[in-house]
Amino acid sequence: MSAAASPLEQMVVVLARDLADGELGAAGAAALVPMAAIALAREMHAPNLTVGGEMFFNPQPGRLYPSMLDDRALGRCEAAETFIELFGHSHHGLDFFFHSGLQHDAYGNINLHHVGGTLHAPKMRGPGAANLSYYHTSTRFYICPTVHSARNFVEKVDFITIPGHLSGPEAKRTAGLTKEGPRFVVTPRAVMDFDAITLRMRLRSVHAGNTPEEVQRHTGFDLAIRDDVPQTRPPTEEELRVLRERIDTSGALRA
Amino acid sequence: MDGQRILTRDSKVMGMEDAALLARDALRDRPELCLGGLFKQGRPVALVRALLAAGADGLHLYSSPGAGYDIDLMIAAGAVEQVFIPGVTLENRLCPNFRSAVEAGRVTAHALDALTVVGGLMASAHGVPFQPIDALRGSDVLKHNPLLREIGCPFTGRRIHAVGPIRPRVTFLHAQEADRWGNLRHLSTMVYADQLMARASDMVIASVDRIVPDEVVLDDPSRVTVPAHYVDAMVEVPYGAHPTASFPNYAMDEEHIEAYADLGDAARAGDRAGLEAYIARHVTEPKSQDDYIVAIGGARYLARLEAEAQDR
Repeated sequence: MSAAASPLEQMVVVLARDLADGELGAAGAAALVPMAAIALAREMHAPNLTVGGEMFFNPQPGRLYPSMLDDRALGRCEAAETFIELFGHSHHGLDFFFHSGLQHDAYGNINLHHVGGTLHAPKMRGPGAANLSYYHTSTRFYICPTVHSARNFVEKVDFITIPGHLSGPEAKRTAGLTKEGPRFVVTPRAVMDFDAITLRMRLRSVHAGNTPEEVQRHTGFDLAIRDDVPQTRPPTEEELRVLRERIDTSGALRA
Repeated sequence: MDGQRILTRDSKVMGMEDAALLARDALRDRPELCLGGLFKQGRPVALVRALLAAGADGLHLYSSPGAGYDIDLMIAAGAVEQVFIPGVTLENRLCPNFRSAVEAGRVTAHALDALTVVGGLMASAHGVPFQPIDALRGSDVLKHNPLLREIGCPFTGRRIHAVGPIRPRVTFLHAQEADRWGNLRHLSTMVYADQLMARASDMVIASVDRIVPDEVVLDDPSRVTVPAHYVDAMVEVPYGAHPTASFPNYAMDEEHIEAYADLGDAARAGDRAGLEAYIARHVTEPKSQDDYIVAIGGARYLARLEAEAQDR
């Protein structure tokens, strides 16, 4: 059964395993994979994990939705808040959050504003981002784009919408970024983490069906590949069963 | 002469055309327009179309921190000069006219974040000169955000940010229902930043899907989301949020928005005919909401969106 896991299902499982019982977190804008990860963590090992910080607590969606900002995706939820309370959550911070962008760079910085040109004379203008604060106030965040190519993984982003580790520990300290920042980068091909000393991104494991060389070829900067890069631990039968039967009942992660 | 005149309370109910002219004239003093709802939900789109039909230009747009279709439509109609909204997207795809106009330099899109917008509205609503913000570091948005200043915290001396009041000249809101005095009831799960905007703005004009008897409000006052005190005018417009959602009444019309975005992409590629025809058909030609409903496919089409709203 595990061999049949889709790349998005593999992403969900990697993220879910890193979320702990009792934590508070939210999914961010591109919510399909993060919401599935949170739901899987709650089913498998973290029944007291609270979803909150985005104007609602503990939604109970009937199926997976691409955006949580849809009354139907909330299904029923335990409480609804507004942007006034979002202001408070933004300052207090969460335990975890998820981000992805148009470009991601070697230090985990994320760009959602423009590619090429300048902010006010862009070659390509992106959407921007609604709430930035969680990168700064939350304990950690995950970067989880559903595409991994040399076009969206670049050495240096054209605009830092969401800072990751900036240009390393010194820059992070100077800017006043005191939290962990991005912990893992999880894509349909692989898992990356950050070197403890330099905070540069490096390849941690490759998903079944990928080789380190292939992942490197689809990345616009050097992933510092070691000789012994392991395969990402595939979903267990139990994880996959719970994911398909209780969370992703419409098969959105396999589409 | 004919006996004592009996004073009665003024209803806030107004016709759509009068509401649009009221907004248009106010925005000529100061072009700051703010829209309620969020992305594809609870957006006052009928009011937006009426304003475009009445003629508006040079607008500075504000919103809750995320917006899409209506902002893009106003840009397509040539009514916008500056955008002060952190996230502008159709969520599943980019906003075509927003992109084109910003890339061509016709519209200035400022780099902002949610806290700047919410904090600015809070300062205005609360009547204080600024709102402190202490949750942003290291982002290029800070270098370009025109509404933020760095200040020293008066207690610790630490460097933090402050945003001054954002005071829209006009705010448009959409709620599911209200009484004739303008007490709004959002029946949707999310109320977005609508309550804050109502308190932060010079003038508030609301659309509602239906007006309910006074008793509905009086029997459940804690259900009122925006008291009439903050509302200047109100228009009853069935499906007034279409093509965005007005939960629990009707869902967003994804098909309509997709078709619109395809026309926007064609315009980006140089063929504006489809987009111009869309604007004529939906914005300038309909004389009433009834005409608009016919233009989008009529009652049977809308019944599908009502059914989708119940599918949880």
